[in-house]
Amino acid sequence: MTRPARFLVRVGAMASKEVMHIRRDPRTLYMALAMPVVMLLIFGFGVSFDMDHIPLVVLDGDRSAASRALVRAVSAGREFDIAADSDEPTALRMIRRGQALVALAIPAGYQRELAAGRDGEVQLIVDGADGVVANQILAKIDGLVRAESLRRIDVAAEPPLQVKVFTLFNPEARSALFMVPGLAVYLLAIAAVLLTALTVSGEWERGSMEQLFASPVGRLEIVLGKLLPYLGLGMLQLLLVVAVGAVIFDVPIRGSATLLFLAGFLFLIGMLGQGLFISVVARNQLVATQAGALSSLLPSLLLSGMLVPIENMPRILQVLSSVVPARYFVHAMRGIMLKGSGLSILWGDLVALAIFALAIIALATARFRRRLA
Amino acid sequence: MSELSIEAVHLSRRFGSFLAVDDVSFSAARGEIFGYLGANGAGKSTTIRMLCGLLAPTAGQARVAGFDVKSAPESVKASIGYMSQKFSLYLDLPVRANIEFFGGAYGLSGPDFAARADEVLRLCDLEQERNAITGSLPGGIRQRLALGCAILHRPAVLFLDEPTAGVDPVSRRHFWRFIRRLAHEGTTIFVTTHYLDEAEYCGRIGLMVDGRLVALDTPGALKKRYVPDRVLAVRGRNLDEAAGSLRGRPGIIAVEPFGAGLHLQVASTEWNADLVAAALTSAGAQAVEVEPGVPTLEDVFLAVVARPREAHAP
Amino acid sequence: MIARPRWTVQLRAVVRKEVRQTVRDRRIMFMLIIAPLLQTVVFGFAVDFQFDHVPTLVVGHDASAQSRQHIRRLLADGTLRDAGHTTELSEVQHKLQTGDAAAALILPAGLARDLAAQRPAEVQVILDGGDPNRAVVVAGAASRYFGETAEAMVKARLAARGIAPPPLIRATPRIWFNPSLKTPPFMIPGVMTILLVITTTLVTAMGLSREREMGTLEQVLVTPIRPVLLLIGKMTPFLVIGCFDVLLVLTAGVWIFGVPLHGSLLLVATGTVLYVLSTLGIGLLISTVSRTQQQAFLAGFLFAMPAILLSGVMTPIRAMPLWLQVVTFFNPVRYYIEVLRAVLLKGAGLVDVWWRLLALLGFGLTLLTVASLRFSKRVA
Repeated sequence: MTRPARFLVRVGAMASKEVMHIRRDPRTLYMALAMPVVMLLIFGFGVSFDMDHIPLVVLDGDRSAASRALVRAVSAGREFDIAADSDEPTALRMIRRGQALVALAIPAGYQRELAAGRDGEVQLIVDGADGVVANQILAKIDGLVRAESLRRIDVAAEPPLQVKVFTLFNPEARSALFMVPGLAVYLLAIAAVLLTALTVSGEWERGSMEQLFASPVGRLEIVLGKLLPYLGLGMLQLLLVVAVGAVIFDVPIRGSATLLFLAGFLFLIGMLGQGLFISVVARNQLVATQAGALSSLLPSLLLSGMLVPIENMPRILQVLSSVVPARYFVHAMRGIMLKGSGLSILWGDLVALAIFALAIIALATARFRRRLA
Repeated sequence: MSELSIEAVHLSRRFGSFLAVDDVSFSAARGEIFGYLGANGAGKSTTIRMLCGLLAPTAGQARVAGFDVKSAPESVKASIGYMSQKFSLYLDLPVRANIEFFGGAYGLSGPDFAARADEVLRLCDLEQERNAITGSLPGGIRQRLALGCAILHRPAVLFLDEPTAGVDPVSRRHFWRFIRRLAHEGTTIFVTTHYLDEAEYCGRIGLMVDGRLVALDTPGALKKRYVPDRVLAVRGRNLDEAAGSLRGRPGIIAVEPFGAGLHLQVASTEWNADLVAAALTSAGAQAVEVEPGVPTLEDVFLAVVARPREAHAP
Repeated sequence: MIARPRWTVQLRAVVRKEVRQTVRDRRIMFMLIIAPLLQTVVFGFAVDFQFDHVPTLVVGHDASAQSRQHIRRLLADGTLRDAGHTTELSEVQHKLQTGDAAAALILPAGLARDLAAQRPAEVQVILDGGDPNRAVVVAGAASRYFGETAEAMVKARLAARGIAPPPLIRATPRIWFNPSLKTPPFMIPGVMTILLVITTTLVTAMGLSREREMGTLEQVLVTPIRPVLLLIGKMTPFLVIGCFDVLLVLTAGVWIFGVPLHGSLLLVATGTVLYVLSTLGIGLLISTVSRTQQQAFLAGFLFAMPAILLSGVMTPIRAMPLWLQVVTFFNPVRYYIEVLRAVLLKGAGLVDVWWRLLALLGFGLTLLTVASLRFSKRVA
């Protein structure tokens, strides 16, 4: 047999042995398939910024027809619910306790001012502790007040200058479209790293790795043979996760599915390789597990752009994020799913993912030799 | 106060469908060294665990140091010392920290305890190592520490589960000397071991096979009962082939390799040393020398374990 | 015969042993000092939800001075940043896709002429909806600016005709507690919360499993030590470490990031202790169901992840569906982060947060009791 053929045969043998191990260990399968999907379901619903029925405190110092009309306008829809109609100390207390997030303060004399032709001044008191929520609330209530203002003066003539806002890719501004691709990447990363870190270091401890070294199987063959079955599992995971996103969260796939799976393929190699590298370096399963979890948890959460936009971060962290593969895959996922971006836009991400994958495989393979000798 | 330190009555323990200890009954008196022998998995460790209050029996009763193991396990624990098979003290702490911890666990404190701790360190020859990290010490020294921690509170009963496993012969002898002194001072010792030469130190020995106590007596009585026949030790050349010709012949009970030679059990009515030597030589062995052998507990053990189950009687 | 051992002596022995072991463990010391500071700095700087300088593409077919003035004024406050000019509409789609721009402002041809002739005019803002938070901010900025401009125009025209302008309703925002809406005051309490749950839960979960793995547990169980004393001993060093970490992070937060301290520090301390009791309880509970350290670590990790993400630390609980909101009632992390933010940022007092503290106390006691019972049963 020729050398390449022998190589393939050995890789194949390693891979099928690994498959047998996996089938006999249901925990691995659970971790690989069930955990990401279950978590995606929970987090997809739970991790969101979209709020409705925001509790509002009414501070109506005027108690006039006009003030009541304003209150009605603000509370009529789904956005705000009246939590109390009271005074400022009560509002302060309720906001402190988290029972309300915003207060609409209408001063005495409001109707009189309007009747006299002067502008009516109201205040929007917002809980500033959570900046994101505060922005959302301000935007919503500002819009409602403005609409009421225009309705009042019964503008027959069109306003001279209007702004029409179109939101591309996510017209209803649903958090899910932003979060779900990010969450999917996050969960895949953790599962992949933990999987390989667990199983390979387990072999180290059991001593079966040393037996392998006694055979003519080469390092690269071991690495590839171990990687392949998990790669298969990973792609299956990716499929499941994308399906859940599409069916349950209505996240579309506007771009090419092939491109998505190609990016996923490269990403998974990188993550599995990271787990492999950790387990080659770590002396035992416990250390490998901890290192794997922590090295995939924080970067994927913070530096990938999943939760917080990368452009908001200071330079140093932005540079740091450029070596986190999750960043590129999140970008590609969002691009393909939401924006229908194609290869011409995402080629940079693919190249970065490929480089990381190759580098980590090379590193893991090289490290193997040190342990042998 | 009862003179019986340990009393086991129809003690049984079941794990699911597996009966690990099957209707075991025995007793040990104050100051006795009671040995417990058996193959791996025969149920020795399970028995010890029940007697220590670590595991509840599924049937039967046991009293240790006057306390019932089922209803008063805490009192049992306060009156016993235990040395487990696997070293189970804190490897990352220094020797004296282990002593201080276990002393405190037994409720010992104050200047009285400080004096006792020093005494134990001296008794176990650990004074030099008092600040050494336990994990850095060799196995034999660690065992001394384990024993030391088990006797801090002057227990009435000491349970030792294979205490000398993997320890060199000199240390083993020191160890047994120490044990015998403790027994002499009134501590009841319950010990399991695989070293059958050590088992000779025991006052009485119990033999467990497949969860049942199949023999219980002094070493001498056991040998007389189970190895009543003549025991012969054979030296020579080409013995293996010749031995094969002897096996199975009437009156030949057992032919076992022993060192470079053979160990025979023969019916004393039919065979003696000269007859055996002649038989071996005619079968091809050379320079045969046959001498009367001393029956050992190993012979007893092999005899008991090799016999069919139905033949066993407690 | 030995008298019944006094539990005070036993407890002291256990606590001393735990402290000794903890102090000797270098990894724990790393977690004690380095990790909290590292996390504070990283989280504090990395997580910033305020949107500034959003790259905006200006698509102008109208090159008048007026248009340029509008553009300049719109970009003035820094929310939007000029990301280039173009006259091709197709570039909008492209730039939004590549991410070079997150918004596009389209000024139609003849805008100035229409306005001068008092014909209705319309500008368009196209947003990248990929990040809805950012989109909201940009949309708000644009609407506000053009809304105000429109109102000013209406006023001017009516005044020119001698008609009194109709009264409008002006809404002025008043932001309580964090006027500049900075993120660190929001995030640093989050760091404290996450830190505590990870260190205390994971480490105690593994601690007991480690003793089981090494075999020392059996030796301890043969002594007359009551199992509950063992558990208390295990918890003690980490109670201390947890509180120390909180102090460290809070100090760093106040000095480096200007986190306010509006409420009572005593309340913060009380909340911390009660929270740590809960997290320790969870860790101990996990350790009673894990056979190995690795199992304990994984269980702890797989608990901590959802516990953190579904606690209101990063995203608001009100945004969750009702069924999930109910689930968070059983999440001690939720109560702690609410207490922290209420006390530190809003100056809340005992009367405002008492039921949350009570909930934490309840969780802590229940978890510890269950863990203790399970532990005792297992060894019988």
